[in-house]
Formats: sequence, structure tokens, C-alpha cells
Amino acid sequence: MALLLISLSILIISSLLILLFCRSKEISACVFLWSLVAACGFGLWSALSVLCQKAMSLPLTGVDFRVHGTIPLGEFYIGIDALSAFFLLLFFILSLAAGIYGYGYLRDYTGQRNTGVHFALYHLLIIVITLVLVAKNAVLFLVAWEIMTFVSYFLITFYNESESVRKAGYLYLISTHVGVFCLLVMFLIMGAQAGSMNFDQMTATQFPLALAALLFMLAFVGFGIKAGFIPFHIWLPHAHPAAPTHISALLSGVVVKLGIYGLMRVMAIVKDFPLWCGVLLLIMAAISGVGGVLYALGQHEIKKLLAYHSIENIGIITLGLGIGMIGHAYHQETVAFIGYAGALLHTFNHAVFKGLLFLSAGSVIHCTHTGDMDHMGGLFKLLPWTGHLFLIGSLSICGLPLFNGFISEWLVYRALLEGVFHLDVFGIIFSSLAIVALALVGGLAALCFTKAFGVIFLGSNKSSEGHQGKEGRLSNIDIKEGDLMLRGPMILLAAICLWGGLFPANMVYFAFQGTQAITGLQIPFVLKEAVINPLLSATRVLSFGGVIFSVLALVRDFLVLHYPVRLTETWSCGYVKLSHRMQYTASSFARPILKIFRSALVFRVEGKISKEYFPAWTSLKSSVKDVSESLLFRPLFYVIKKFSRKLKWIQSGHTQTYILYVFLFLVILLVWKLI
Amino acid sequence: MHILLLLHLTILFVFPPLLLGIIGKTKAFFAGRIGPPLLQPYFDIFKLMHKESVYSVTTNWIFMAAPMVSTAAILAAGTLMPLADFKPPIQFWGDMVLFVYLFALARFVIVLAALDTGSSLEGMGASREATFGCLSEITMFLNLTILALLSRSLSLSEIFLGGLSSSWLQVGPVLILVVVSFFLILLVENSRVPIDDPETHLELTMIHEVIVLDHSGIDLAYVLYGKAVKLFLFASMLVSVIITFRVHDFLIDTAFFFFELIVFAVLIGIVESTMARLRLNKVPYLLFSAFIFSIFGFTVILVRGGH
Repeated sequence: MALLLISLSILIISSLLILLFCRSKEISACVFLWSLVAACGFGLWSALSVLCQKAMSLPLTGVDFRVHGTIPLGEFYIGIDALSAFFLLLFFILSLAAGIYGYGYLRDYTGQRNTGVHFALYHLLIIVITLVLVAKNAVLFLVAWEIMTFVSYFLITFYNESESVRKAGYLYLISTHVGVFCLLVMFLIMGAQAGSMNFDQMTATQFPLALAALLFMLAFVGFGIKAGFIPFHIWLPHAHPAAPTHISALLSGVVVKLGIYGLMRVMAIVKDFPLWCGVLLLIMAAISGVGGVLYALGQHEIKKLLAYHSIENIGIITLGLGIGMIGHAYHQETVAFIGYAGALLHTFNHAVFKGLLFLSAGSVIHCTHTGDMDHMGGLFKLLPWTGHLFLIGSLSICGLPLFNGFISEWLVYRALLEGVFHLDVFGIIFSSLAIVALALVGGLAALCFTKAFGVIFLGSNKSSEGHQGKEGRLSNIDIKEGDLMLRGPMILLAAICLWGGLFPANMVYFAFQGTQAITGLQIPFVLKEAVINPLLSATRVLSFGGVIFSVLALVRDFLVLHYPVRLTETWSCGYVKLSHRMQYTASSFARPILKIFRSALVFRVEGKISKEYFPAWTSLKSSVKDVSESLLFRPLFYVIKKFSRKLKWIQSGHTQTYILYVFLFLVILLVWKLI
Repeated sequence: MHILLLLHLTILFVFPPLLLGIIGKTKAFFAGRIGPPLLQPYFDIFKLMHKESVYSVTTNWIFMAAPMVSTAAILAAGTLMPLADFKPPIQFWGDMVLFVYLFALARFVIVLAALDTGSSLEGMGASREATFGCLSEITMFLNLTILALLSRSLSLSEIFLGGLSSSWLQVGPVLILVVVSFFLILLVENSRVPIDDPETHLELTMIHEVIVLDHSGIDLAYVLYGKAVKLFLFASMLVSVIITFRVHDFLIDTAFFFFELIVFAVLIGIVESTMARLRLNKVPYLLFSAFIFSIFGFTVILVRGGH
């Protein structure tokens, strides 16, 4: 805990320093960078020491820190348990990477805005998110949660000269506020039941099942909006593309995950939920997973695609959570443990690879000045570093073996399959449907990322017909790779992806530590072995594959040396006047699968397909509409707006009227007290 | 024990192209021709190894590495699959997930290699392959879940080595549905008629052939070999579901297993000779029917209580 306090104080002091020196860009950036590295270092150390269960043996690491009687009901009471520590681990890794990247990204920024303020806000965001993660008092939690929403709003709207950015910021602010309302009610009910707003007392309290169900629904909506469950996700695909790259990485990697953290915290406090809560969570998870990836497939804009993929991965995480809850409700602890561990591990992994993908996508946008994938192509040769890092990110997010995504998806599969074995017919139906959903999500994610990687980096460039030389290379467009400040964080994240995939034991162990904090039960050693050992065998299969690969590569090298090799143009079936625009685009690649799912999606096509024999000029623009945005929330808000217009007379704008309202309210209170 | 493992690997490495030879011979028989020799796929692979390689200037290393990665991934998946009565070299609880995901990895890199050429024809094939692949994956998982439920095991070796032996008597209908669904998946995954015609070279209609349009020489040899191994693994999986009977005599079991595989290859040859290729927009329906078969099988288990 002392380590964490050191880290927090570094952040507070340095953010003040940054504000002090914000006139000078160099000094503020320098302070930002070094304080960030120091603070994240201490933060990681504190998180790791808790996860490694060495908290007691180290002198500096007490467990709790509290200041009594600060505000009514609330107090400054923080403490790290394994669940907090697990989230702190991923949070500090990602905020370090995104912060360094942001430093590199904003260094050559020449616009009007003051980058010093932006850096100070970044530090403030780290402070409040840390507080959210370690708060042991509901009031402190809510206060930190609110500040976090505001700070992230300011960070998202960095480029606020554009109207779409402002709109996205508003949408984010409003939707998270609806969430906070639910959370407030939830914590008040919990506090009333426990007689204290401290999480300790709440955990010790027994909640009746009906109340638990109510609390679950409130948590589901309140935290679900933050996490971006479909249909509460509408803010997410707008906010992510609007924000500067390093902020979108942090938003998708951590801020969205706080919704998951909140749900897990509620599960740790209210232990027993009715069965249907878990089933509901599982269904919503399947919908979010499949829906998120289908919407992602329909996107042409790279950051929007990644934003929808966050929804998909939240779906996978929630599948783990849902099967965990179902297992808990059936008292099948094996299922519950593996489910929760899978959810936790996927949270970590998603933060890492999604951070990597956002950062490398940011580099691409930085170089090409467009986010539209259909105008890219052939960037692998021009941006080799970014290309390779994006490839690693894509392989990880698809859950393919060798990378960390596979490990966590395997755990979720394992939990669902154990569910098939250990539950009754009802449980079997839902866990098998969840398996199908997860398989579908995996397949669609692979489709989506072959599309994204292929269209952005492979083939030849589709945008600048006139500038291309014979070899499909861009000749006079100045595209150059970012420097070490941009590349370094991405390399760090990519290394974690590979490490997590090849040496899974540590992270799985940490995830189990977090699971113990959620369930409050000790996980038997046998179970840990039964999960980690298969993963080690899986590594053996992969190393066998590696051996075969090297043999094949050696044979190939030998043959290539001894037989002729010719370089030529891509075979175009005899057609000579080939244009670079005649490649498969992102839209055409995704078309078959979207056509199959057309009943679940809403398409909008502008323009028309020319069917004449000698086609003249024509244009076609197709997009996939977000159902919950255009069919659910837009009409809903329209109705609310219409209704509230009728109440407009209350807000007259005269001060006297408002004083009258206050007076009336006081009278009502007085009368109520008298009765 | 080590000799058995070595034997397992030898079968895995050497036998697969023969299946393609048998299919070719069967098709030739139906067409009234003598056809290529049984060992023709081996000759093809050998010949390709000595051919000139042609690379497009648009491509990167991904194009060259993809055939190797996919073949290595498929062979690695083979180490989890029991053949005849041999235990696989590696087995663990939950290896079926890895098994399917290794095929997904193989598909992923091949699709990327196709996109690497920047050819619109290969883009077309890549898009189709990825689409059908993701639809067949869900059926694959549901089928494996059913088999896991019946044999109460999550390891391929336990499922296929005796785990299903009593299931044919108890829940025969379920297994029939699973077999039908598996067979359809096999046809899709290995791009056989009626989904795809491995014989044609008309680019617009193809799925798998068009993806590897630009590969040549040793790369094409790897692709062909990987394809053969994939067919072999799917066929041996299906055969292990159908024939669960084993006498636990090493020689008889192995001979019987090979006999089954050969019969199976002849069966695929017959399907290919007697059916026309489906129109491309009908292929999803075929995949959905495979899924529906599997769902029916699943429902039957739940009702009959075979779990």
C-alpha cells in the first residue's frame, strides 16, 4: 500500500508541476514522461507484490490505508486485495504504454491547444482510476468514478474544434451519467442493508436473494453502460474514434474494463445471486460478443472497427463471468473458478492487445492522415514496425495459439465445457449455446482481422493511383515510421502478448488470485494444476509445430537456393490494364458474411449499382447501421425530449421562481417532518 | 512406447497424400478413365519442389511464410489426434479447443497470404474461405461438445479411443446426426465438391484453389501437402466416430483403420463424381443444415438424458 501511495503522490505533485510549467512545452512534457514512468513503476510493484502474496513480508506494504470521518457516510478508505491488484497491474501497464506513446504523439503537435493541461489531466485520470480500483468505501468509489468520467471527457475532446468530437464527448458524458444514477441507488441499498458504506461490512452482510437480484440489475445497467454491453454501447463507437490515439487505447483498455471491475466487485460483495442473473449475463454476453463483431465487420473506419471489437471482447469476458455466476448458483465451484479466472485473464489480455492495436492504428492514421481502411493498402512495406506489431495484435485478438488471447479464450471454453459436464439440463443448454456463441465470435473475429490487416497493410495502396510506381510502392508520399517513443510502448505490449501466450502459468496464477478475491473461497491446489498443466501441454504442441516449421523453412531455403526464383507482377488471369483500385476492399471482403447475417443487421446503401452495359459515372456508399442506436435510443430520446418539452414551463429562468421552488420544497419537508 | 509415438508421427506425415490419390482414382473410374496412379499426389509434391518459384513484387514475407505456418499448424494439430489404436503423442484435458484453433490459425495465415498478393481474385477467395470457415467452426465446436458430453471427456484421445464405444447402442441417432454434420463440415473445410471443385481452375467460382493462385514451386507443394494432412485428420476423426469397435490388437486395429480410411476416400470420390458443385450462394445453407443437424443431435441428448 505504501508503494501505491508513493505512486499516487508522485502523480499529484507532478501534475501540479506540469500545470505550473504548462507554458513551456518541453518542461511539462519532460516532467510528464519521467513522473509517469516512476509512478507506474511503483504502482506495478505494489500490484505485483499483492498478487505474489508477499504483501505481509515486505515492510513497506501494509494492506489498508484509511482516514476517518472525512465526509458524512464516506471516508478515505483504500486497500488492495487481489482483485484490485489484478486490475491495477493491467491498468499501470497500459497507462505507461499509452502515456509514453502520447508523449511521442503530442511532441510534434503544433495546434492551438495546450498539451501541458492534457498531460496533467492524464495524470489526474491515472489517480482517479487508481482510486476507483482501490476504494473500499462506496462514497469514495462514486466520487472517484464521477471525477473519472469528467476527466476522461476532457481527454476525449482534445480535438474539440471538430463537431463530431464534441458530440461524441457529450454522448459519453450523458450515457455514463445514466449509469452513475443506477450505481448510486445500488450502493445506497447495499449501505442500508449493511449499515455502513464500507465494502468490508457490505461483504460481511448477507443479502436476501430478491434484493441481490435487484442489486444485480442495477449493477448490470450501471456498470454495463461503462463496459459497453449491447444495447448500452452507443457511446463507445463514437467516443473511441474521436479521442486522440493514446486516449482511445486507455479508454478501451481500462475505462471500459472498469465496468467489468465494478461487476466483479459487486459479485464479491453480494455473493449469492439467483440463477437467472447468471443466465441473463450469459445471454447479454453472447449478444454483445456476436453483435460487436458483426458491427465491427461492417466498419470501414479503423478506430471504429476497433471500438466495436472492444464490445465483442467485453462479450467474451462477460461469458466467463456469466458461467462463473451460473456455476456459483449451482454450487459447482470448479465451473465458477475457471469462469471467473477466464474473465479476469481475458480482461488483462484484451487491455494489452487492444492497446497495441489502437496504438498501431494511431501510427497508421498519423502517417496516412485518414482512418478509412479502403484508402489504405500496401503499408506493410512502408511501415514495417507498425505492420508487424499490428499483426501480433491481430493474431492475439483472434485468440489464435501462440498468443495470449488463446489462453484466456481457452479458459472461458474450459469453463463452459466444464459447465456442460457439471450442471443440469438447463445449465447444459446455456453453456452449450455459449460455446457456440464463443466459437462464432472467434471465427468472426478472425474474419474481421484478416480484413483489417489485409486491407490496411497488404496488397498495394488503393488511394493514390497517380503516385504509384511500377512496383506498387508509394513514391512521393512522405510516409515514415514513428520513432522509439511511439514504437517502444507498442513493442512492450507486443512482447507481453507473446509472453502471455508462450508462458501462460504466471498470468493464470494471478487470475486465480483475483478469483479468490471475488468468490472469497480458497481455490484448491488440484484445480490450479488441472488448469495450468493442460496449458503447458498446449505449449508443447506449439513447440512441436515450431520444430516442424523450422524444418519446412530449412527445406524451403535449400530449394530456393538451388532452383530459380523469379519476381514478377501478381497473376491477374491475363488482364493487363490492372488498376490498384481493383483490389478487394474492406467492404467487399466482409460482404458475404454480412449478407448471411442480413436479417440481424440494418444496412444503408446510398447511390446505386450500375447495371447498364456501358456503365457511366456511378457512386455507391454502404454502411451498417447500429440497431440499438437508430432504432432504440434515438426514438427513446425523441420521446423523452417531447415529453420534457411539456415540462419546460418549470424552468422559467426567473430567479424569483426558483426561490419560490426552494421555499415550497422546505415547506413540504417541514410538513412531512411534522406528520 | 516411443516406437508407437514414432509410428503415429510416421503415419501422420506419410499417409495423407495417398487419400487424395484414392479420391482421384475413384473419380477417374466413374469418368471411365484409367486415371493418374495412386501415388500421383506424392509425385506432384515432389515435382513442385523442383520447380521454379515465382513471386509477385507486391508480396511480403507473409506470402512465403504462410504455407509453412499453416502446414506446421495442421501437423501440430495432428499430434493431438489419435490414429487407429495409437494414443496421440500429446493429450490434455481441453485439447479439442486447441485442435480447432490450430486449424483456425492455418486458415488465418493462408487468407492473409492471399490478401498479400493484392489480387482481387484472391481477395474474393480469401473472403469466401474466411466466411465459410467461421460458419463451419461453430458446427465443429457443437459437434465436439456433443461428443464430449457423450464420452465425458474433453480430450480428443479419450473421446476417440473408447469414449464413445457404448454410445452407439444408447444414443445411436445422435451419433448419426453428428456424423452427417461432420461429413458436411469435412466437405466444406477441405473444399471438396459440392462446395468447391478442386479440379477447376476457373478463378471466379473457386474458394480454395483461388487463394493459392499465386503460390508456386515449394510453397505450392507445402499448401498441397497441408491440405492432404487436413483431409486426413478430418477423415480419421469421422472414421473414429463411426467405427468405435477396437480389438486392441495392434496390427489388426491399424490395418482396419487404414481400410476404413480408404473406404472413406472412395466415398468422397463417389460424392464428387455423382454430384454437381453447388452455386456459391447456396453454400451457407449447406453449412446451416450441418449446424441444424448438430443442434438436433444435441436436443436428442438432452431429451434422452445421455449425459
